[in-house]
Amino acid sequence: MGSVGKRTMHGEYKMPGGKLVVIDLDVFNGRLANVQLSGDFFLEPDSALLAINAMLTGQPAHADEATLATTLHNALPADVMMYGVSPCAAPCTRVPTHDAHRVA
Amino acid sequence: MMRTEWRDHDWKLIHTLPQSPSLHMALDDVLTHEVGAGRRPATLRIWEWAAPAVVIGRFQSLRNEVDAEAAQRHGIQVVRRVSGGGAMFIEPGNTITYSIYAPLSLIKDMSFQEAYAFMDAWVIAALGELGIKAWYQPLNDITSAGGKIAGAAQAHRGGAVLHHVTMAYDIDTTKMLDVLRIGREKLSDKGTTSAAKRIDPLRSQTGLPRKAVIARMIAIFRRLHGLSDDCLQAGELADAEALAQSKFASATWLADVP
Repeated sequence: MGSVGKRTMHGEYKMPGGKLVVIDLDVFNGRLANVQLSGDFFLEPDSALLAINAMLTGQPAHADEATLATTLHNALPADVMMYGVSPCAAPCTRVPTHDAHRVA
Repeated sequence: MMRTEWRDHDWKLIHTLPQSPSLHMALDDVLTHEVGAGRRPATLRIWEWAAPAVVIGRFQSLRNEVDAEAAQRHGIQVVRRVSGGGAMFIEPGNTITYSIYAPLSLIKDMSFQEAYAFMDAWVIAALGELGIKAWYQPLNDITSAGGKIAGAAQAHRGGAVLHHVTMAYDIDTTKMLDVLRIGREKLSDKGTTSAAKRIDPLRSQTGLPRKAVIARMIAIFRRLHGLSDDCLQAGELADAEALAQSKFASATWLADVP
């Protein structure tokens, strides 16, 4: 038990007037496991969801927001387009008024 | 790839008899693919529903969004669509749903936000002619003084864009809130009181039967962009029926995000 036990966690964040982002995961031996991102956001291509889940899996449970955001940002292919779920280094507390992700 | 205009495409209309929720999901998949491959011209498809359904977005958690027990009790089929966005509650006759399938060139160089508003400009015009002042609320809502009218979603596949929209004609919110877990939060967020028994912005603001609203929408699309009547090709329907069975009616796809 304690730090070596499994903890199941669930978090939800709704951007004001915007999209809901949900994360379900386990913390096992101090690392993120069984990470499942979900919500009413948009992602192209849809396979990026699996990539995001895979990248977060195994990260240290104590990693801060900026570290996780940078990890995602660096690992996702450049052609991935997101709306309502973009990783950012600063807390995402606002709805983007425009997005830089354009159709190729 | 050059940017194209609406009138560069030979728009086809498909408006057929009511179909099952899983077949609708499959038709969107197949027709997007056919347009992307150049085997079908750009197409507007108006949906008719054979059965009540909850349609969840591509990335939504099934258990988080849907009360499975309540859905079963009400005889509502739950399906997952290919595009992102939020859950829709459908009963035959209570919504107007349509899909637009077009080559990606139509929205080339547009941001998500621009592309949504662009694909539905004809609907905003149609609503105006029906006496409803409506506007786009980024990213993907059409709203009016009488409340939210519609939600849109897009997906890009193999050279084509799928843009589909569900408009509230006359929705019984009691049943909807029974089945959708986050219904209440979404309603409050959209500025609609959760005590409202019906969401009927189209019915109450036009005073027209659903069929008449659809006829006016088709007429305005035809006038603005050109549109000729078409039907599903036998091969398209066969492909969609097979895909409905193998993928969209399967528990694996439905629980792809558990």
